[in-house]
Amino acid sequence: MLSVHAGAPAGSSPVAPAAPYRAPYLPSTDSDVLQQVPAASDPKVSEMGTLRLQLNANPTDLRTADRLARVYIDFGRQLGDAHYAGYAEAVIAPWLRAKPPPAQVLVLQATILQFRHQFPDARSLLQQALKQDPRNAQAWLTLATLDMVQGDYAAAKDDCGQVARDGGFVLGIACTGNLRSYLGQAQQSMALLTQIEGDAPNLSAPFKAWVQGLLAESAERLGDWPRAEAHYRKALGYTPEDNFLLVAYADFLLDRNRPEQALDLLADHSQSDTAFLRIALAQAAIGSPELVRSTWIMAARFEALAQRGSDYYGREQVRFALHLQHDPQAALELARRNWMMQRAPWDARVLLEAADAANEPQAAAPVLTFLEQTKLQDPIIEPLAQQLRAQLKNGTSRAP
Amino acid sequence: MNRDRPLRYQCVAAMVLVLAATAAGAHSASDAYLTLDADTPSETGGAARTVVHVQWDIALRDLDFVLKLDDDGDGNITWAELRKHQTAIAAYAMESLNVSSDHGACTIRPKRQMVDNHADGTYAALFFDIACVGAARRITLDYRLFFAIDPSHRGILVFHSGPNTATALLSPENARIELRP
Repeated sequence: MLSVHAGAPAGSSPVAPAAPYRAPYLPSTDSDVLQQVPAASDPKVSEMGTLRLQLNANPTDLRTADRLARVYIDFGRQLGDAHYAGYAEAVIAPWLRAKPPPAQVLVLQATILQFRHQFPDARSLLQQALKQDPRNAQAWLTLATLDMVQGDYAAAKDDCGQVARDGGFVLGIACTGNLRSYLGQAQQSMALLTQIEGDAPNLSAPFKAWVQGLLAESAERLGDWPRAEAHYRKALGYTPEDNFLLVAYADFLLDRNRPEQALDLLADHSQSDTAFLRIALAQAAIGSPELVRSTWIMAARFEALAQRGSDYYGREQVRFALHLQHDPQAALELARRNWMMQRAPWDARVLLEAADAANEPQAAAPVLTFLEQTKLQDPIIEPLAQQLRAQLKNGTSRAP
Repeated sequence: MNRDRPLRYQCVAAMVLVLAATAAGAHSASDAYLTLDADTPSETGGAARTVVHVQWDIALRDLDFVLKLDDDGDGNITWAELRKHQTAIAAYAMESLNVSSDHGACTIRPKRQMVDNHADGTYAALFFDIACVGAARRITLDYRLFFAIDPSHRGILVFHSGPNTATALLSPENARIELRP
């Protein structure tokens, strides 16, 4: 959160209005709000509190630890806040030191590492877990997600088969439906996912929201914008605060040239870095005077990540370099590195966009090959790929 | 250098280059910032002791998780709420920091607490001095803040001594650091 403070800066020297920071200071009034935190009235917060007390009372109880870690991971994912992944990691740490660690703990730790984009380590833990417990549906589903994120669709297909076998029909359909949308089969994907989108009472709200989010994504592949939007809204009806969904819907709105609505949507979510990037992109689209400040803050947040030694690369950073720092060369370099780790449609898109902006169509070649192999259909990516393919074929760059 | 103003605020231009070299997946985790300044021997009056001035910025979000700063639970930490917990914050923080030197014990002398803004939220800024007997050549810092509840917490340390600046990243695997004033 970045609230505006009324207090005078400590050195009492006036600060230029554009500067978002100042020296350490003393707030002027008692009621100055310094920081937003999860409110006690949030049911998730009280659940975390209760479980934490239970675990403190009985620190060797794996069931409580497992539940608490799950609630932390869910809550953090919902907020787009990595702190909770760290809290979950501390909760399961004693069991992770066991030899061998219980499979369920390995899967939780893999989920945490995946959240942090530490994909090779996450994969290795999942493989360990499956060695111990080959029918662990959660492990297969997490592995499927990992394989999809990294573009290994053949492996993901096998994983989804295992998910269906060990996790049941609904989970298997969700997995396969998700996968098909990356393989040029968005129509089938929608048909599959529609089968499980009902209001079955035994399905949790986050699961239903996930299915609606997948439907929205598939509809986007088909260019069916009204349907995509309807699914995003339905998804957010189940989990209104879900950072992942909010960000995906904001991207949809930005693509539809509706930046004002993206700003409204994310107004209360500036603490999440992924949401903050979309806020800044929307501000750029409407020519907001806030943009200078937001760009500065976004750069500072990336810098803070770099300082703490985070060594993963993200599509967010490519978009930041490309659209807000207007540095196509830097964006292309970041997009290339990102592509080594992540190969979801957005990763393909940012590399194509960066290659195009940098006027280096040859840099797009790996993505173009990947798209030919996977047959991804996407009304935004396809024309861009076609254009770059034509440039490559003619051996020309775009006219400057 | 103005001690109350951490170095990072002064390197906006350098930031873009660092960005290009080290990117990330846009999730903020827990960081604290330690900025240390060694006094020049002349300032300490004939090197009878070694003094290091410290500013330690700790996120209110993190402190709320362990110390419950938001007393009324409304989701907003106010200045009044923070002030009420400043003693507890200092005690909690100092318990996780051990300092010694090659000449023996060092003491920590708290000076004041303020509030500092970072890109990801508001931090408590703890100002204190580390005072060691004699002209210490090595000061050892043992840093444990939040590691027990969040092993992904990092302490980002910048140490200024005369014209020299050193940086370090403190983690559970790398919790101890030696400073050479």
